Amino acid sequence: MLIGQLHYETTPKYSFLQSLRNVEISKRIVELSLNSMHTIKGRIFKVSNEELANFFIEHMDSEDQLPTKDGMLSALIMPLRAIRDGTPIIGIDVSSIKIGVTDAGVIYAVRGTIVLKINNHYRYIRYGPLPFHITKENIHEIFGELSRDLSLRFNFFSYIDPQIQLCNIIEKWLRAYVSHLVKRSIILWDGSLTAGTPGNPTADLSRMLRIARENSNVVMGISKDTSLKFIRWGMTDLLNGYKPPYLFEIRSASFSHTSSLRLLGRIYVAKLAKGGCAFRLDIDKAIPRDEGIVAVEKLIGNETLYQGYPETLRLAHIYSTFTASDVIGIQRLLIKKYGLKLIAHNNMHRTLFGPYGARLED
Amino acid sequence: MRLFKKTGNTMHILCFPDEEVEKGEYLIIKDERARKSMIVQVIDIEFANVPGVMEEILRSSGIEEFVEGEDNDPLDVASHILYIQDARLLICKVHGTIVNGELIPESSWLPSRTHSTIRKIPTESLVKLANIGGSLPIMIGKTRDSFPLAIDARQLDGRLSIITGKKGTGKSHLSKILALGLVDYGATVVILDLNGEYTNLGYSLDGSKNKYYDKIHVLSPGKTFKVTLYQTNLYVIMRTLVYALGLPGTSAREFRRIWKFLEKTGRLTLHDLGEAIQNWKCNQHVKDALYSRYSALVNSGFFTDNMAEATDFEKLLRKTERNGGGIIVIDLSDTSPSDRQIVVEYVLAKIQETLSQWKIRAVFLFAEEAHLYLKETYWDDIVTRMRHFGLFTTFITNQPNTIHENIYRQADNIFLLNFVNEHDLQIISRAARADAETVTSIVRDLPPHHCLLLGKVVKDFPMIVKIRSLDVKTMGQTRFFFTEKREGSNF
Repeated sequence: MLIGQLHYETTPKYSFLQSLRNVEISKRIVELSLNSMHTIKGRIFKVSNEELANFFIEHMDSEDQLPTKDGMLSALIMPLRAIRDGTPIIGIDVSSIKIGVTDAGVIYAVRGTIVLKINNHYRYIRYGPLPFHITKENIHEIFGELSRDLSLRFNFFSYIDPQIQLCNIIEKWLRAYVSHLVKRSIILWDGSLTAGTPGNPTADLSRMLRIARENSNVVMGISKDTSLKFIRWGMTDLLNGYKPPYLFEIRSASFSHTSSLRLLGRIYVAKLAKGGCAFRLDIDKAIPRDEGIVAVEKLIGNETLYQGYPETLRLAHIYSTFTASDVIGIQRLLIKKYGLKLIAHNNMHRTLFGPYGARLED
Repeated sequence: MRLFKKTGNTMHILCFPDEEVEKGEYLIIKDERARKSMIVQVIDIEFANVPGVMEEILRSSGIEEFVEGEDNDPLDVASHILYIQDARLLICKVHGTIVNGELIPESSWLPSRTHSTIRKIPTESLVKLANIGGSLPIMIGKTRDSFPLAIDARQLDGRLSIITGKKGTGKSHLSKILALGLVDYGATVVILDLNGEYTNLGYSLDGSKNKYYDKIHVLSPGKTFKVTLYQTNLYVIMRTLVYALGLPGTSAREFRRIWKFLEKTGRLTLHDLGEAIQNWKCNQHVKDALYSRYSALVNSGFFTDNMAEATDFEKLLRKTERNGGGIIVIDLSDTSPSDRQIVVEYVLAKIQETLSQWKIRAVFLFAEEAHLYLKETYWDDIVTRMRHFGLFTTFITNQPNTIHENIYRQADNIFLLNFVNEHDLQIISRAARADAETVTSIVRDLPPHHCLLLGKVVKDFPMIVKIRSLDVKTMGQTRFFFTEKREGSNF
């Protein structure tokens, strides 16, 4: 597969990973993380069973829950044929977790992964885990600086969990830089291309998509599950009779939009492999429909699909997700490096490794 | 290391990758506030049940082979995660408490989880604390921390010991160390040598005579070990006939009469005994029974009428003790199974007789694969009755199921070499001197030539020792057809 190299004529084939490694912003994020951690030295540190327990049960993205108008759905089934042309596929995912609570604030950790498939090889670059100590005093500063550095119009919303916002902003950083650095690639985001929700301004998303387009990239958002309903039927269930791979387009007129929501993607239900699952697939709306469909055909031609789900995105998810031992390792680092004083939890069964293990075991 | 939990006399201790601990080692849990320290022994090492590890392994399995990449981990969290994932759980057994520098057998208290410090206790310190070794040390070998471990010969005195392990692990080698160690302190040792392994104890590896040469007496039944009926009193011959040759009660009573008659008339010879049985007026069945036993005695070649070729075993025992100890090796290697029983019965009866008459003080008996020559009824006798006369037995076997359970229960010392067979492990775990868990867990992983010492010789602190080499010509090795040097065949 030499085609992948054609897109990177002047630089080594993995040059964008090299570029990403060297970008100033990554140093800036690390710096912010470290600065926030300097405020925890010698503090009391408490881990919470319940909050962490809940983390391991994956949540559905709320932004995927788009209401539809019954009877107004116009749909088009499009069969797909795989195009094997060596187009690089890039998947991005970010994960965050609450590590514990200090007497001044909360410690979160974030980890993001970019996986690139090119020339039949997978490579990844993983950032983190980066711990952030978020307090009332530094919360605006941290979010402000991150937004400023990323040139995002990001505002901190006190009514949204800082963990979600922190995760979002790091994810945006990764998405923005990938859009900027790669060319002629398919970029896969975990989630939809819906903007206009708090913490996800339309302008930011539009700008990222525009940069990606300028570099001849196609951005696709893939949601692992969707709650889109068609006449009270689950959309992914509705298409069981069709032979994959295919796309099933959901016209935007079908949605009962709230005033703030902006759908920057063309929305499809995609079943990309036989025996696989159907997913919601958003393709950048500014790209002509036909080009978008060809991009999906390139995706299925150049990517390994696991249960119909792109491997790059699956790997990005695996590499960024926190496991219980990750959490314990981070806690150990905090105690060792920053001298946090761990409060013994009242549940003695869970004293050994904090709450995490006991929850999984008991 | 951190204390995790205690259940009964089992302690669970968390141990991290930079802390090297092996099975069998002892740890001291020091609780400064309680002013006490607990001594525990590591009997098993497991991975700590770190949550999420299985998920992590399952997730990453298969990925690493086809995905290359790098981690931008500025805080080096990965090292902490790996540290946690490699944490181990030490399963330990409590062996006592140190209070004011004294070791007491207490395990009812609970050291603090938060304030206790845990560290390895060197064998040297433990040996001092528990007073292992004593004033009559027999050097056994080196412990894992290279401490030369000696046991006190006094702990074999008046005791019942067992040496067991699978084939080729060094049982005979260890019994030689013990036997020669006892001789060093003037003890009389009798070895029932099934395979002729002890016959060269008087020679060094290079074939020259060693310091024990004059103290080793090898007796080969039918060759260098023959006895006359004169030397054999009625008690001894009756035991031989009844236990070794299975003479029924009625016949035994007739034999007693014949024997007394011959004794009275001064004709206690093999020839006269045969004639007397044939001419004796009694039931024909009894006569037949007596004559068949007589024939067995004659055919064994062990009995003779020639005083010049006879060995006075009692005299040899007394001489050995008088000369400052020694080893009498009864070489049974060329003796048939039935004759073996006659010889062993004779030897044991003679020892018992000599001991009961206080002609000698004590005999240390080393019995290899005793099930091959001891009658069922005899085991309890050896363990219970004969030890009161001064016969202190060490059984040596590679088939632990051949030693009765009550022997294990009553054993004072057990020297365990490697076993992997679950059935064998189950049997040896019945030993009363240690808990079953300790035995099965440690013995399963013992390397070759390493021994787990249990019982009074180590003051009930089970210890693993690499058995030392011995400058004695070896006879116990298997003879091979292929003659190239075999790895691990020499100590």
